[in-house]
Amino acid sequence: MRLRLLKDGFPNPRERRVFAGYLLAAAVYIAIGVAVTDFLLSFWVGVAYIVLAAWAVPTIVRRLT
Amino acid sequence: MSWAAHDLEPYAFQRHLKLKVAFVPLLIGSYSPDMMTKWFVYGIHLGPWDLKASDPAKFHRGWPGFGFTHSFIYGLVIGLIIWKVFGSKLWGLSFIVGQFAHALTDTGDTVGTMLLFPWTFHFHLGAWAYAGQTGRMTDAAAYFSGLGCMWDAVWMVYGFYSWRVLTGDFFDTYIFKGDSFWPWLNRWVPRGALLTLYRAAFFYGSSRWIAWTIWAHVIHHYPYDLSWGGPHWVHAAHP
Repeated sequence: MRLRLLKDGFPNPRERRVFAGYLLAAAVYIAIGVAVTDFLLSFWVGVAYIVLAAWAVPTIVRRLT
Repeated sequence: MSWAAHDLEPYAFQRHLKLKVAFVPLLIGSYSPDMMTKWFVYGIHLGPWDLKASDPAKFHRGWPGFGFTHSFIYGLVIGLIIWKVFGSKLWGLSFIVGQFAHALTDTGDTVGTMLLFPWTFHFHLGAWAYAGQTGRMTDAAAYFSGLGCMWDAVWMVYGFYSWRVLTGDFFDTYIFKGDSFWPWLNRWVPRGALLTLYRAAFFYGSSRWIAWTIWAHVIHHYPYDLSWGGPHWVHAAHP
């Protein structure tokens, strides 16, 4: 019997790239949060951060290049 | 109380219920019991004043207090109001599912919730210590040292295991099409930003779970105590 690691199969390369971007954003968020815990307290700060890091910045970079 | 489960549970429900629920009211329902009370549980400084509940656990979960926000009847009443005011049965029901999930999850700690309010009995499993009365930082340290954080981890692992719920395809097929809120917001906000907004609560819940764990155990070396009702190094509140 083959062990299934993930319920929905395995992500394709494009999905893995998106996931890697979120992982990078998470690493920065966690580093800031551990240093300044107030950063972790607000849901809205988290939302603003991820919209900036995972959508706004990549969109701006794509338009500039 | 739970620190990340309420961010993560809606994705599991969304995966299984698909078009039967709308994500935004589901998430609002999941947050709703604590929305107006957490600041007063932990206390805030406002100029020369320190504002904090004299009995935080009772204020948060008890009666007299705001404990009714963690009851089924609260979810049903607010869900019914949403249904009638906004004319959306889907939004009303989705809110109820989210609020019920929160109320049930919080029965896991030592204070529990008055699920059947106005009956003021606290349903509680006592699996992890309720330490909101000790202040935000001690509560964080205690929560991320006991079984509560493991319960959060279950939802986080389940989310990654069911990763397709976080993909653009799932968003387009079930989230965007299932609720007119998203096409309405799409008039001003591009699809890419909407997808990021949809993923935000999962990102927030899982990232801060990791961050608080590092803060509690790598920076401050609080001991893990995964025994029932732990951690026992903190004073746990009871009903």
